[in-house]
Amino acid sequence: MNTFIEAFSNEAIVWDWIIAVYLFLAGMSAGMVMIAIYLKRKVIEGRAADNGIIKATAILAPFGIIAGLTILVFHLTKPLSFWKIMIYINPTSIMSMGVILFNVYMTILFVWIALLFKDELISLINKYLGDKFGFISVLIDKIKPLENILEIVLAILAVTLAAYTGFLLSALKTFPLLNNPVLPVLFIFSSLSSGAAASLMFGVLVFKQPMHCPTVKWVHGFERPVVLFELFLLICFFSGLILGGGQKEVAAMAAISAGFWASWFWIGVVGLGMLLPLILNFVSSESTRHKSSFLLTVTGLSLVGVLMLRTFILYAGQMTVV
Amino acid sequence: MSCTRRNLLIGTGAVIFTTGVTSVVASVTSKTLAATMTEGKKRYGMVFDSRACIGCTKCSEACRETNNVPEGVSRLEIIRSGPIGEYPDVHYRFDRNSCQHCDNAPCVYVCPTGAAYKDEKTGIIDVEGDKCVGCGYCLAACPYQVRFFHPETGSADKCNFCRDTNLQAGKLPACVLSCPTNALIFGDLNDANSEINKVIANNAVYRSKVELGVEPKLYKIADAKGEIKR
Repeated sequence: MNTFIEAFSNEAIVWDWIIAVYLFLAGMSAGMVMIAIYLKRKVIEGRAADNGIIKATAILAPFGIIAGLTILVFHLTKPLSFWKIMIYINPTSIMSMGVILFNVYMTILFVWIALLFKDELISLINKYLGDKFGFISVLIDKIKPLENILEIVLAILAVTLAAYTGFLLSALKTFPLLNNPVLPVLFIFSSLSSGAAASLMFGVLVFKQPMHCPTVKWVHGFERPVVLFELFLLICFFSGLILGGGQKEVAAMAAISAGFWASWFWIGVVGLGMLLPLILNFVSSESTRHKSSFLLTVTGLSLVGVLMLRTFILYAGQMTVV
Repeated sequence: MSCTRRNLLIGTGAVIFTTGVTSVVASVTSKTLAATMTEGKKRYGMVFDSRACIGCTKCSEACRETNNVPEGVSRLEIIRSGPIGEYPDVHYRFDRNSCQHCDNAPCVYVCPTGAAYKDEKTGIIDVEGDKCVGCGYCLAACPYQVRFFHPETGSADKCNFCRDTNLQAGKLPACVLSCPTNALIFGDLNDANSEINKVIANNAVYRSKVELGVEPKLYKIADAKGEIKR
């Protein structure tokens, strides 16, 4: 326990676990949106808003981004000055570009959800706010013809957002482990993996989407190649550093060869988060796999694994300076 | 110390060689790196002569006093390493850790609000406290890890060559003034006749982490003993 506290209270760390939670939530939001848009366009037959996974996305994708940004604001040394980050723009700053990206992504995400859930939204408004808001219905109908283009734009923004969480860190030439071109790609795939796990966990267990329906089957089938490719990207990530020599090699070896963060990586990220779900899905019978408790375990492990990966990259990354 | 004809010739050759090469490099980089300010206006830099430094830390104390730097953080640190050799012939080495005022400063590039900026009149990297929101991106981006959050204002802070204190009053930076052994030389790198350019031309100098392309303006003269740790 002491090593645990020590590892997390390293004073040299500028960005701590709160940033890791933020990266996780933003990535999960982007991953869920990517998957939901694909399902809506290619897999779902009938009304998309009736699908449990789409419902889960409509709740969790905005929640992820709003909760993530809220904790981020309170992580600033001057939380009350956060609005300055929106009015002063620096085109060479990845973070500044990210702020714009977040604003556009959130706006389009809300519009898209309003288009999908128009009936539910209107009945909620009528129930609680009265009939003074009739213009909202008219507005949604006016935007409706743009649904296809909005969806494509939102999908591109979601991919960009997932990559952004990587670019934010890879811009830091101070830390060889973070200053790594594989990082944005790795984070896109870990976003997809957390998005898939959250879609299944909340779509099936909370919004009662049946296990046998095509959308749940599709997400299940999608999970395995994503995790396998993520493992391959981790190999690229670390072999690239080790073969690069110098401080890159020092940084990689310090992260994964021994110590608290190496155990965290091998047991938590790779073992619990990636290999165990793969193995559990591989060895279990179909009837076991369709149990709620099994689904909760496997998706829970994946989500914990992704959060552990983000935490690991952040902390291990800041251990070794160039 | 004797100075033979041979040594003199080698020395002059080395000086011509190094200055010749640096001026060629400077003229090339000024064309290729748009962000590098090598011409026009002033371009303040500093030389730290570790042969002269005795590690008294008068510089950090003067800096603290002049710039109101609170305890617990510092804009300037003298790092002692060693000892080299055995008693009674022991030798310590000293290094200066502070903002290097990079021409291509990573902190300036990553700052989301433009609070970290380069003063175009002097080439000094400074912080506009009012614009800083305290995200910490610059603290992480600095390859020399010299930035910190000011405990009172919450803004990112670091050495600014006393731009708003001594320099504004027409004096040299506090560290330079306080150094009892003249181990610090401050001046305009754009002025070919400045003392700093003469010191750079006549000594074997190095800069830390030049391979990152950040073009630091803190030059160092290596200690006479031991390996250079850049």
